[in-house]
Amino acid sequence: MKKYSQTTAEIGDFSKLPLLQKYALADLLYVAYGLLIVALVLVSYILGMFDLLPHDPQQINMGLLMAPPASGGYLLGTDFMGRDILSRLIVGIQAYFLPGLLAISISLTGGVVLGILSGYWGGKLETVITYFTNLVDSFPRLVLILLVIAAFKPDIYYIMVVMGITGVPTVATAIANKIRFLAQKSFIEAALALGLHARVIIFKHILWYNCRALLIIQATLGMGEAILLETSLSYLGFGVQEPVPSWGNMVQSGANYFLQGNFWPSTAPALAILFTILGFNLLGDGLNNILEDRRGR
Amino acid sequence: MIASPLRVITYNLIKELGLAILLLLGVSFVVFVILYAAPGDQFSVLLEGQLPTEEARAGIREALGVAQSWYGQYFSWLLGVLSGNFGTSVRTGLPVAGELFNVSLNTLYLTLGSMLVTLFVAVPIALYSSVRGHSVAISWPLTMLGYVVSALPVFWLGYIAIYISIHNFNFFPLASVSQTSAENGWLYTLVPVLVLGLGSGTISEVIRSLREEMSRVMAEDYVRTARAKGASVWRHAFKEGLLLPVTEIIASKIPFILGGAVIVEQVFGWPGMGRMAWQAAQDRDFPVIMGIVLVAAAFVRLGSLIQRIVCATVNRRGQRD
Amino acid sequence: MTQPLLKIENLRTYFYARSKQSFVRAVDGVSLQVGHRETVGVVGESGSGKSIAAMSVMGLISAGPGVIGGSIHFTGSRVQKNLLEGLDKFVKIKEENARVMEVIKDESGWQKASKRLMRDLRGREIAMIFQNPHASLNPYVTVGEQITESVRLHTTHKSDKESRERAIYWLDQVKIDSPRLRFNSYPSSMSGGMCQRAMIAMALSSEPSLLIADEPTTGLDATIQSKIVDLMEELKSETGISTLLISHDISVISRLADRVAVMYGGAVVEYGPAQLVLDMGATIKHPYTAALLASVPSAQKIRDKANLQAIEGDVLDTINVPSGCRFYARCNQVTAEIREKCASHHPELQEVAPGHQMRCWRFGS
Repeated sequence: MKKYSQTTAEIGDFSKLPLLQKYALADLLYVAYGLLIVALVLVSYILGMFDLLPHDPQQINMGLLMAPPASGGYLLGTDFMGRDILSRLIVGIQAYFLPGLLAISISLTGGVVLGILSGYWGGKLETVITYFTNLVDSFPRLVLILLVIAAFKPDIYYIMVVMGITGVPTVATAIANKIRFLAQKSFIEAALALGLHARVIIFKHILWYNCRALLIIQATLGMGEAILLETSLSYLGFGVQEPVPSWGNMVQSGANYFLQGNFWPSTAPALAILFTILGFNLLGDGLNNILEDRRGR
Repeated sequence: MIASPLRVITYNLIKELGLAILLLLGVSFVVFVILYAAPGDQFSVLLEGQLPTEEARAGIREALGVAQSWYGQYFSWLLGVLSGNFGTSVRTGLPVAGELFNVSLNTLYLTLGSMLVTLFVAVPIALYSSVRGHSVAISWPLTMLGYVVSALPVFWLGYIAIYISIHNFNFFPLASVSQTSAENGWLYTLVPVLVLGLGSGTISEVIRSLREEMSRVMAEDYVRTARAKGASVWRHAFKEGLLLPVTEIIASKIPFILGGAVIVEQVFGWPGMGRMAWQAAQDRDFPVIMGIVLVAAAFVRLGSLIQRIVCATVNRRGQRD
Repeated sequence: MTQPLLKIENLRTYFYARSKQSFVRAVDGVSLQVGHRETVGVVGESGSGKSIAAMSVMGLISAGPGVIGGSIHFTGSRVQKNLLEGLDKFVKIKEENARVMEVIKDESGWQKASKRLMRDLRGREIAMIFQNPHASLNPYVTVGEQITESVRLHTTHKSDKESRERAIYWLDQVKIDSPRLRFNSYPSSMSGGMCQRAMIAMALSSEPSLLIADEPTTGLDATIQSKIVDLMEELKSETGISTLLISHDISVISRLADRVAVMYGGAVVEYGPAQLVLDMGATIKHPYTAALLASVPSAQKIRDKANLQAIEGDVLDTINVPSGCRFYARCNQVTAEIREKCASHHPELQEVAPGHQMRCWRFGS
């Protein structure tokens, strides 16, 4: 059943419509949730940085092992060694936050450069860059990182550099496609005909006006992937080592207890991973629907 | 004038094969560069590892001329790789190639199985919500579910699956592969396949892009013509709306799925390439991990090759890319 | 008197512009008929609703709310029915001051019922060809295959061999060069004109009673346009098919149509025999038709070095529909007596001469 109604005989003005009627409810919710998560991550990072934690993340409390949430002053309960889970979760953010930022900066910078070279100038340059993007895409990220770990040190920053580099193709293709799209609309031709300098066209018109939404979206999605990767790596034992907490190693160390029926020590960090990655992904998708599709309309 | 279809297909096949080989060469070069730049003279370890004595090793070094230029070393290494010499494992002392072959079959099984699971779940959802038009009320919970499942850490999903199968089905899915040869043995393999299929994060992407493509194709003029002439809309729409997008998305997600396989193999103790890679990274066993990277990249390119061939076959003379 | 082949009465097809929160009244009460062995041309500017009307007949409207009222009676030799039979139970309309303010429609129910109604008609009794023939043919399938699909679905020639022969026969009928070769071609290797011929072949191969042609010549080169019109003239006399021809090109309409309906702003404003409607010198003429005919460039005008005569004003915005006559804002024949009526009351379609209807306050009350 669909209901269509025209409230007045006059035409409505789109820009004056309340948010809810302008954009799909789902997209607005996605963005709201995503922003909430980003805020939480930021706040937690700062808290962790200044050690403003409810409890000492390493402190063992043999009296209160595997306590459920909200028991004895431990907001999220304790793990199998009686350590406060909430504090450990907060500290766990340190493991991926800065490295993740590093990774997405590399991806965005590399992606923008390659995307512009490929999309704007095309021709042979485009073929070469396409070859490079296909080449980088041929490596499964995790496997490549294991290779780098075997060859060099298992340092999270090395790893994130690799992560950043492997993220370049996605961004580059997105930008190159956008440029091709604009070129198709004769937008670039027109700008050139008006006598605009190539540098101005690229930086002001293409990047700032047309690509900034795209870049924000790629940044959020990239962050989500960085988190996924870091937690997978630390789950596998290649990141932060016990007793320093990272969400991945928290799940791993709680695994045996999980199989015995004590779900919480593994589940708490897993849920943290879930809600955080979900937040970044939804933010990216919601923004995409609101910002990008709107333009197409 | 109008080339025979067979000729067109073979021409495309050769072209794509050439591209794939070129890319694999690039892959080998990247791996070599990492090998070369790695501290600890990995290169020599690779070459010499098979020889027991220091003199023999020195002798080989001289014979090969490590003083050779880097491209010389690249070529001799490449030749070695192509002839199946992946070096010997630092940990076991056995040649890598043999072991790698067996485990890669296990991973192939896991990967292909999980792709089927993903498609099985994602395709009906995508088709249903695209054919029904934008009835948000029905498709939204499903899309949301897709998002959530994609954000789930796959290792945790694995533990849940193990827990359920142990306690609810009396099923211990960590049984070794040798047990799978017993009757019903293949059931043991289902659990990791299911976990990887659901948890690899591909589902939501398949749903999203498939739904987009199918909706777009449904609105195309030629589908309208099919409707107008009373023909089956599905027959006309599925090539561009289902077959092409699905192969494209799956092919592009293979690297991702392989990464997920590393984790799933770890959780279930599955003797595949992924677990071997993990072990190799732990031991800094360079020859092994190098071999795995090469094989993994080959998988990826193979998948891409298949997809492009499907595309070329369907597209006969079609002006669309 | 026998029933006409197609009788459209008071068809209303609305869309909804979410960005403007208003209805787009694309087809707002259209009535016209197509008799047996007759070609009816529908002429009008872009945005007049003529294509939408044609697609509403075929049941190809899927955007919301879509067809919300009216009746389409089809009286063929094999099938007779109202194509919108019983569909108004899926639609609830709320009107205010004779203007539709709210529509509640059960889309899926409506579509299901419509599909059932149209099942034995689409492609079989009524065939449709479209603008832009390249895009309207499946690029992944050969042309021949697309025609045989039609043959197998709608005629008794179900075997591979028979359907193939029929397809080639029709390709020949549409004067395509080397039909046997074209049978195995893909649309991408054919020109626009050839594709349109193939479309016509595909449409006619099921031997329908009614052909709906939606802007069949638009988008083709001028010389090819003329050839397609020639083809349609020939086929008209050879097969005796009835045609509903939609076009904004008056020359095409004048060559092919027996009767003409002029549409403006989603409604028919003049409707009658082609010679009367398209005759520039006729005394009884709708102001819009007159303006339309006057704006067509012709050799005579070039010789006379006359200026191009455009119709003043913009095409009617079918969202912001005025309450009076829709053409009022651009009409240059409003007189003092009827001015008030034109500004506030929407005229009805009335018969001003036998077989000739007009929607104007100047003729009839």
